[in-house]
Amino acid sequence: MSIVLIGVNHKSAPVEVRELLAFSDEACTQGLRTLIDGEVLREGLIVSTCNRVEVVTAMAEGQSTEGMARVTSFLSDSRKLPLKLFDRHLYNHTDADAVTHLFRVASSLDSMVVGEPQVLGQVRRAYSLAIEAGTAGRVLNRLIHHTFRVAKRVRSETGIAANAVSLSYMAVELGKKIFDSLAGRTVMLVGAGEMAELSARHLVNGGASRLLIANRNEDAARRLVQEFGGEVVDFNHMAPHLAQADFVICSTSADEYIVTEALVRESLAQRRNRPACFIDMSVPRNVDPAIGKMPNMFLFDVDDLEAVVASNIREREREAERAELIVQSEVMQFQQSLRAMDIGPAMGALRHKLQDIARTELDRQRGRLGKLTPEQEAAIEALLISTVNKISHPVLTQMRRSFEASDAETLQSLRDVFGIDE
Amino acid sequence: MRSLLLAVLAAYIVAAIHSVLAFMNKRRSLQRTADLSLAGGFVLHTAALIADWVVDGHYPLFFLRETLSFLAWTLVAAYGLVLYRYRARALGSFTLPLVCLLTFVAILVRSGSDPTTATGLSPTWLFPIHTTLLFFAYAAFFVVFVASVMYLLQERELKLKTFGAVFHRLPSLTTVNEIATTSAVTGLTLLTVGIATGMLWSSARDGRLWHNDPKEIFAALTWFLYFLLIVYRSTARWRGRRAAWMGVAGFALVLCTFFGARLMGGYHVFG
Repeated sequence: MSIVLIGVNHKSAPVEVRELLAFSDEACTQGLRTLIDGEVLREGLIVSTCNRVEVVTAMAEGQSTEGMARVTSFLSDSRKLPLKLFDRHLYNHTDADAVTHLFRVASSLDSMVVGEPQVLGQVRRAYSLAIEAGTAGRVLNRLIHHTFRVAKRVRSETGIAANAVSLSYMAVELGKKIFDSLAGRTVMLVGAGEMAELSARHLVNGGASRLLIANRNEDAARRLVQEFGGEVVDFNHMAPHLAQADFVICSTSADEYIVTEALVRESLAQRRNRPACFIDMSVPRNVDPAIGKMPNMFLFDVDDLEAVVASNIREREREAERAELIVQSEVMQFQQSLRAMDIGPAMGALRHKLQDIARTELDRQRGRLGKLTPEQEAAIEALLISTVNKISHPVLTQMRRSFEASDAETLQSLRDVFGIDE
Repeated sequence: MRSLLLAVLAAYIVAAIHSVLAFMNKRRSLQRTADLSLAGGFVLHTAALIADWVVDGHYPLFFLRETLSFLAWTLVAAYGLVLYRYRARALGSFTLPLVCLLTFVAILVRSGSDPTTATGLSPTWLFPIHTTLLFFAYAAFFVVFVASVMYLLQERELKLKTFGAVFHRLPSLTTVNEIATTSAVTGLTLLTVGIATGMLWSSARDGRLWHNDPKEIFAALTWFLYFLLIVYRSTARWRGRRAAWMGVAGFALVLCTFFGARLMGGYHVFG
């Protein structure tokens, strides 16, 4: 059996093409039932997300050209899309390449944002749909389980998902760098911009215990308090509250500095030099850059946050290189396990081994039989071989049966009994 | 003892390499190897020191060879404690190469002659206490130094917004700050008791508490500087960068106390 993967992703096709090819859950199961015929196309599953549509199939050996043609015409028919519209965006991978591709997809190495966690869930969903459609068999079962294992290994052994890459999450990231843990920290929100709100939410989810909200419009502040707790503080007298805050997240629509150096200096005596992290999400800026130069005060504006995001992406890419090595070695392991499952060679070896025994025995005893005509000699050999074949037949049948049932244990014990290793 | 020390060195080198690699690659399996070989090296090292003591019949802190080896041992112990308390493995990447170097030099340096003729002093029970306490104080101040450097490196990156490779690998500012403070308090306590026992020993010998010996003067300066550092830290005036610079400066004084005094003579000739 050979594994073939055909599809498009965010790199090969624009969104206009991907959205036309996308499958809903229902379309997925139905489509699979029509596509998989059990002859040429034995097994199949469809991974359909906003970034990719991929059909993974197990095909009968030697019929992959035919199989591939069927998959592409299936895509065209079921999506009611002329082939020439998406043909040039399609890629196809066979066997080791297909396995590599699937491993990379599930490990989030092929994602738009390397290390994003959703894609594994999407692969899992695709698999359960294939089970529902009854098109996941021996090969795909094995492949998908191995895929999950690889994704898990990549996640735990590399830092591919370690550093955040979204702007709103940066407050958490920087906060951990400064304060170690967010537990018990006080967050002060100045203004109520969407980004700032999102950052504050991340901080509160991360363990920050107190939320102070200062807004020129107190009604808006109260609305936020209703949504996720905290206290409204006086926008015009911020200094005493600033003194308590570990994080100050600022986003107002003002075009001047709201958090001024004078305000922070006023709060300094009360802070006793405790560090503070200012995050200015507004453009034009609302926090005086001079604050960033004061000791123990750390100020980040939007550009700075972008720089951390960029640095984190670089860090993820570095980790991704190590993840690729893991994928490579796992592909090799998978190929090996697949070969071990393929019993063709094992059956041939068993038959040959028994026939060889018969021939050797005949050679050994040949002298005692005296002179024989060539016909007689051939008859004796035929007799021996057919006896051996009759004896080995039930064994081979049992091997075939265990193979179909994926019963690796019985297969192995049969091999052991007859001493066949590969 | 030399072969034992060679085995110790080998274990430390393995630990140092794995620790540095783990620092760069952030791999847990490397850390495990580093921890195991470090623990092995430490046990062997302890055995080597005890063997030295038993075989030579004096506390193993008389000759340069012995002091270097002992210093390496205290550094490993200090790193182990920090690791246990703060999980700050980054410290190992800075400490372990130095430990290797000290052990290596300790192996190269030849032993001197009989200690009593070398120093003209008769060791009493106070000697081991005096020296051991001070060596652990040095190790604690080394930890303050490394933590301060980590603080400065990281604070610089945060202030300048140049988020390089170091940024992702060092413990948080709060953690290094805490390591520095705790180690400074520990170091100062050890230094205080160490100096006190020294004075006690000295007065028992010739009735004088103070000899105006370079080592004594430097030790007093060191004590004063760390005392200031801790006072400032506890009143929270000098947190962060300035305190970190003080941790670095303090260590320069420690180095003067340890090595400088040796070059300037005085009666603290050993170690």
